[in-house]
Amino acid sequence: MADRAEFLASIRHRTRTGKYKPTHAPDVAWTPKESPPETRLIEDPSARFIEKLEALKGHGFRAESGDEAREYVVSLARSRGAKLLVRWDDEELAGFDAPLADAGVEVAVPRDPEGLREVAGRADVGLSTASWAIAETGSLVLESGQGRGRSVTLLPPTYVAVLRADRILGTVPEAISKYAGGKVPANVCFHTGPSRSGDIEMSLVVGMHGPGDVHVVVVG
Amino acid sequence: MRVALFVPCYVDLITPEVGVSVVRLLRKLGVEVIYPEGQTCCGQPAFNSGFFDEARSVARHFLDVFEGERFDYVVCPSGSCATMVSHYYPFLLEERPAERERAEAMGGRVRELSDFLVNVVGANAGDLGARYEGRAVFHTGCHGRRELGLLEEPRELLEGVEGLELVEWPNEELCCGFGGTFSVKMPDVSTAMADEKIKALEGSGADTLISGDSSCLMHLAGRLRRTGHDTRVLHLAQVLDPENGGGK
Amino acid sequence: METKKPPRQRDTRDRREEGIVSPVEGFNERGRKAAGDKALHDAIQLFTHKSVAGRNAVLNALPEAPELRERAYGIKQRTMANLDRYLEQMADAVEDRGGNVFFADDGEDVVRYIGELARRRGAKVITKSKSMATEEIELNHRLEEDYADLDLEIVETDLGEWIAQLAGDTPSHIVGPILHMNLERVTKILSGAAGENLPPNVQALAAFARKRLRQKFLTADVGITGANFGVAETGTIVTVTNEGNGRLVTSVPPVHVVVMGIEKLIPRFEDLSVFTRLLARSGTGQELTVYTNFVTGPRAEGELDGAEEFHLILMDNGRSKLLGTPFEEALYCIRCGACLNVCPVYRQTGGHAYGSTYSGPIGAVITPLLKGTDEAKDLPHASSLCGACWEACPVGIPLHDLLLKLRNHQVEEGLAGKGQKAAFKVFENTMKSPALYNISRKAGRLAQKPLLKDGSVKPVPGPTSGWTGSRDLPPLAKKSFRELWKEGI
Repeated sequence: MADRAEFLASIRHRTRTGKYKPTHAPDVAWTPKESPPETRLIEDPSARFIEKLEALKGHGFRAESGDEAREYVVSLARSRGAKLLVRWDDEELAGFDAPLADAGVEVAVPRDPEGLREVAGRADVGLSTASWAIAETGSLVLESGQGRGRSVTLLPPTYVAVLRADRILGTVPEAISKYAGGKVPANVCFHTGPSRSGDIEMSLVVGMHGPGDVHVVVVG
Repeated sequence: MRVALFVPCYVDLITPEVGVSVVRLLRKLGVEVIYPEGQTCCGQPAFNSGFFDEARSVARHFLDVFEGERFDYVVCPSGSCATMVSHYYPFLLEERPAERERAEAMGGRVRELSDFLVNVVGANAGDLGARYEGRAVFHTGCHGRRELGLLEEPRELLEGVEGLELVEWPNEELCCGFGGTFSVKMPDVSTAMADEKIKALEGSGADTLISGDSSCLMHLAGRLRRTGHDTRVLHLAQVLDPENGGGK
Repeated sequence: METKKPPRQRDTRDRREEGIVSPVEGFNERGRKAAGDKALHDAIQLFTHKSVAGRNAVLNALPEAPELRERAYGIKQRTMANLDRYLEQMADAVEDRGGNVFFADDGEDVVRYIGELARRRGAKVITKSKSMATEEIELNHRLEEDYADLDLEIVETDLGEWIAQLAGDTPSHIVGPILHMNLERVTKILSGAAGENLPPNVQALAAFARKRLRQKFLTADVGITGANFGVAETGTIVTVTNEGNGRLVTSVPPVHVVVMGIEKLIPRFEDLSVFTRLLARSGTGQELTVYTNFVTGPRAEGELDGAEEFHLILMDNGRSKLLGTPFEEALYCIRCGACLNVCPVYRQTGGHAYGSTYSGPIGAVITPLLKGTDEAKDLPHASSLCGACWEACPVGIPLHDLLLKLRNHQVEEGLAGKGQKAAFKVFENTMKSPALYNISRKAGRLAQKPLLKDGSVKPVPGPTSGWTGSRDLPPLAKKSFRELWKEGI
């Protein structure tokens, strides 16, 4: 078994004694293009986000109000014949319970690991918020935290996220800079469209292990 | 303008007509041509096989021979051999500063033929009176493509050749499979690579294959002939040289 | 002259080993078989064409791609120059977050650590997300052997990797592990696992796999992943997947073990904005993969899932030997697979011809470097040095130059064969002496005379046979260029 100090000392020795300086060979294919990088101003981040998500076979919906968002989720659950929906324990989602219950959909809000384990695997729909979204790639930025089970976004075949339009960032670097230099939650996930696989003869399979039916409701 | 001709060894020995066409082209453009007779080979076969000491020794010979002459540029009808001097001599002599400097100085003066014609003298096929009847594809050798970045130059020249129709072919960026000693060390894989090019060539409907590198052409022609194709195989210089009779 | 005698019986293999053709038997032989396999060839073409087209499209749409590539190279260069410091920072950050860190010299260390961990946890089922580092050390196989008493069930969860595992096969591509299998073969393999005949239909087969693997995800005691990146600053492990298996393996089981090659380190979280934008684009032609998952230590207080125990294994296994050497750049690789897709050699042979975990140009470079240069002697020669790999590499690793340096290393280590060494000595002496060059030219012309037929040199045994077996060899011209020059052009 390797000893930490020894391991590091041996690496230090190698990096300090090497006299070789890597050469960065010139390149043809990656030479800077003539036009300078466009400053990618995304005029309507919500529209771009939805456009990108749909291109990945996800579904985006712009809701004018919280009511409209709730209607979307209820009708989605109905259309999927859902009996059980599991959601994050998040204030923003509390208002969804009553209309869902009215529509005959049971809502589970796990508050301990056992509770989550029990429902996440058999729920028909998972519902969460998202900390951010990224317009240029159609990604959700999901953070772990109290009452925010990762499995909620992973195990049910249908997954829907609700977030406010002002949480939509332009680019991947913008999203990454939210965590740079600071404290990162135990889990962050850039979730970009439905789960997919192309392993068998490059034929697209949607919903391989994660949800294949992904919806994002942008409010406002 | 005075140029020293650097004729790759396989052109010297196997396809000297390519060298002759280069001389005629340059003279037609009013360029004075000298041929340093002490030249042999750039050393690439040894270099590519990992025999760096041997390659270095051949590189020194090259530098000695060409440094002894007075010229504005060294012109070479091969992207591969030009790259050997311009890029890989400095690589080989990296740890010998004085020699590396010599190599870099020489490397800066070496020009592949199409590079010289287009970027130094601003020639076009019309000036040369080039004519060729045929439908052709152009193969860019890998060194010319990647190390020298010569994608447009040969095409620009060929597009001005009267009677020549230049057609595109699929996956034209793929290596022909020659790779110097690779072709004999890995003969079956190398041949499979050539076959892929030939399949693309067949699909293009071309009757002529042109390249700026005789080594790629030797490989593809060798396979074309073995598989019963009668595709005409020509170096760029031959197509541009009216006295070559369109290479026929 | 030798060629006029009747052909002698000789062992061509020995001859090649001692001739100008160096000892490179393995790859050409395996490559020849692969190139002749039409179904394999079609499958490789399909995969590589699609991948290259996708890559080109997304990279061309990213104006700052060239700048990102420069930055990626620079970041890796700085990382390697200070690797000890960053490893220490990484280890501290992970421990600060309640994770465990283990430094492993080699695969042996990794196997023992995970085996003992499984024993302590009483683990039965281990789920794995695709990891080349664990393929490299044959982790599954060795855990099953060395810890047979634990009766572990180790399950790959990436669809392709699982199918390969069921078939007892190895991945043939970093990104597309079973691109070499057609639907018929996959159907057979999965039918075997199902115990019934499944229809040869991709959706149906995937549905079966989903159902079967779902049980494994939910019951696993330990989840093992590799790492696409490890961030020293925060102790974050980044994995990218499309299927979601990476996120499941890190979210559901109570224990998460990361096996990470030490070269996967990057200094700062911010650096991810360079690498995440290059990796998926280069590998699969996506802007991002579906799941880009960042795990920092075990689950935090009050969280409902994520592993309770987090273990980071920082594995050397030959990597540190390259630090400070002319081969250091091989450690900059982010395993995107782009160099495989563009490589004209890989495109003829596929991955298995390389006979190693890592295939394609990067495999030809790192296999001998990690295993020792007297291993895989054929691989540095499995390239025409066309440079397509270097061109495609999102980190700008000059792979073809590294192959050249490896060939040189073989020569210096005396691994190139006496015959070849002698031949190139003759080459050197001839080429630095115009007089000798001229004599050889004349001798060559004489020697070829009896061999000329229809304008080509007849195929005969000897040093030209590697060429003439499949290609016509043009004869030496009647007059060389220098003779024509002297006569006057």
